[in-house]
Amino acid sequence: MRLVALLLCVFAFACLAMATGRQQEAVFGRTLAVAASRGFRCAGWGALLVALRLTVTDQGWALGLVGYSGSTSVAAGIVYGALVARERWLAAGDRKR
Amino acid sequence: MKRTRDAKPPGRGVRQSMADLHTWAGLLAGWMLYAMFLTGTVSYFKDEISQWMRPELAYQRVSPDAATAAQRVSDTLGTIAADSSQWLITLPTARSNVASVFWRVPHPQPGKPAYGLAAFDPSTGRRLAVRDTLGGEFFLRFHYQFYYVPAMWGRWFAGVCAMFMLVAIISGVITHKKIFVDFFTFRWGKGQRSWLDAHNALSVFGLPFHLMITYTGLVTLMTMYMPWGAHVALTTPARQQAFDMQLSSFMAPGERAGVKAALAPVDAMVREGEARWGRDNVASVLVMNPGDANARVVVTRGAAARVSTSPQYLLFDGASGKLLDVEERVGAAAQTRGVLYALHMGRFGDLQLRWLYFLVSLGGTAMVGTGLVMWTVKRRQKLPDSERPHFGFRVVERLNIASIAGLSIAMTSFLWANRLLPAALAARASLEVDVFFAAWVTALLYALVRPARRAWVELLWLAAALLALLPVLNALTTTRPFWRSVADGDWVYAGFDLMMWALAALHAALAVRASRHRPRAKAVRGRGAVALPHQEDA
Repeated sequence: MRLVALLLCVFAFACLAMATGRQQEAVFGRTLAVAASRGFRCAGWGALLVALRLTVTDQGWALGLVGYSGSTSVAAGIVYGALVARERWLAAGDRKR
Repeated sequence: MKRTRDAKPPGRGVRQSMADLHTWAGLLAGWMLYAMFLTGTVSYFKDEISQWMRPELAYQRVSPDAATAAQRVSDTLGTIAADSSQWLITLPTARSNVASVFWRVPHPQPGKPAYGLAAFDPSTGRRLAVRDTLGGEFFLRFHYQFYYVPAMWGRWFAGVCAMFMLVAIISGVITHKKIFVDFFTFRWGKGQRSWLDAHNALSVFGLPFHLMITYTGLVTLMTMYMPWGAHVALTTPARQQAFDMQLSSFMAPGERAGVKAALAPVDAMVREGEARWGRDNVASVLVMNPGDANARVVVTRGAAARVSTSPQYLLFDGASGKLLDVEERVGAAAQTRGVLYALHMGRFGDLQLRWLYFLVSLGGTAMVGTGLVMWTVKRRQKLPDSERPHFGFRVVERLNIASIAGLSIAMTSFLWANRLLPAALAARASLEVDVFFAAWVTALLYALVRPARRAWVELLWLAAALLALLPVLNALTTTRPFWRSVADGDWVYAGFDLMMWALAALHAALAVRASRHRPRAKAVRGRGAVALPHQEDA
């Protein structure tokens, strides 16, 4: 259950990243329409809420909130690391060509 | 007067003031904060480090029965510390394979401590005959009271540093203009910009943790930092004792009756605690006036799955074994403190939660580290001559090297000393600590005499080598090499070795980054390198 919650948090932060202009430029090569950004943002916050609900149902409020806080921090780090790694990987590909 | 007021330049704005505050609060306490953060981070695995540092004790597949262990240890204490007024036995757990004992020495010799402190073997109840070591306890103690200085001074100093940290966090949040917009931003190879992005990410992702850990760190020692309220309110010893019992189950011994009476079985008392709170959930047994008709025994609940350190305990008559009192509630204020305290220690968590604590806390360490490095990155650009920086710059640069690369070397040297110092050496435990500080000071001296960039590279490589070779040293000096640990399913030892290799890889990667980056002429762009501070010359 905790892994599910963590994966949900990763998904949520990935969505939130895609809702920012800079990351849209990096991933899609252009900024998305306002509606699409809003969609990503809603999906991101929604997934964060679902993950909170799951964690608290699973472990209660006391342990759940602590675990949830840790999961969100680690998930944000994972998404961030993935975005940087992707950028580097593409840049390395460009240099080879 | 009016003229000067009019002539005053327009305010620099709250953000700029906060940025300055952030910079200087962060820098002044930064070196100590880095050390506090890193030693605190590894302390989440204190018990595992202690296990590793006592390789003679076999891997414990199942946790020892706490009640039996308590009985055995108290039998031994009945012979070696019979006339003591107090024994505190911290029981073994699934993670800790020793019973730690504190006892008061009734008539200490001048110059000797008035208490004894030792680890006992739960399976025999005797004092451990293995190598003498502080184990992971050293990192934990260093984390909040340092070493070689009186504990009270150390704690005050740690409190001042924590207060600086709190100021740095709050001013940092105000300074950070676009927390949400720049949440995922990282601009590679842009020198100062890259460092700032990394520092922001490390700070923002773990922000709830960083705030919590700093604030709760202050709370753990709040009765020491702010004793005045208690001084005014608690005028009688009885009130003082009632107050103490809200914070901890460690109570002062009462009067002796002066009549001898054997101590009732302690294991039965522990079992009574386990019946209430679950198996393996009794943390400690406190025996007061053992062997006296007025003996008392306090059995305290463990930390498992309870986000509070507020004391919950059973009080027994030590002579008859009768349950006298059950305390399972404290007042609202004490409970608030208990929750904050528990959040800091994270002892309630299972393995997964412990890893989350460790990872986010490691992020916090990196936050402090990147902050320190950034101070030099930013200023190097403004130096009139980057070959000959001014004195203050050089001091910060060298202290950064010693506190970041040097601490890794010192901590790993401590572990090396554990394997290399002869087991029979006198005062061995404190010699291990001496090695830690000797290595740290040596790293500082080395950083002072070498060119800065070389010092970074060489010390990082040294740290990587020490870390990578530690499992090899362990294989050579113990009967528990990596492959055997894996075959035995001993994930404490196997995990320790893997962690050392992971950390070695991290240090090697940093060393490679630092060495690849050559000082360049202005306006020549290097190929996507993240610069360490001293190389920043854009």
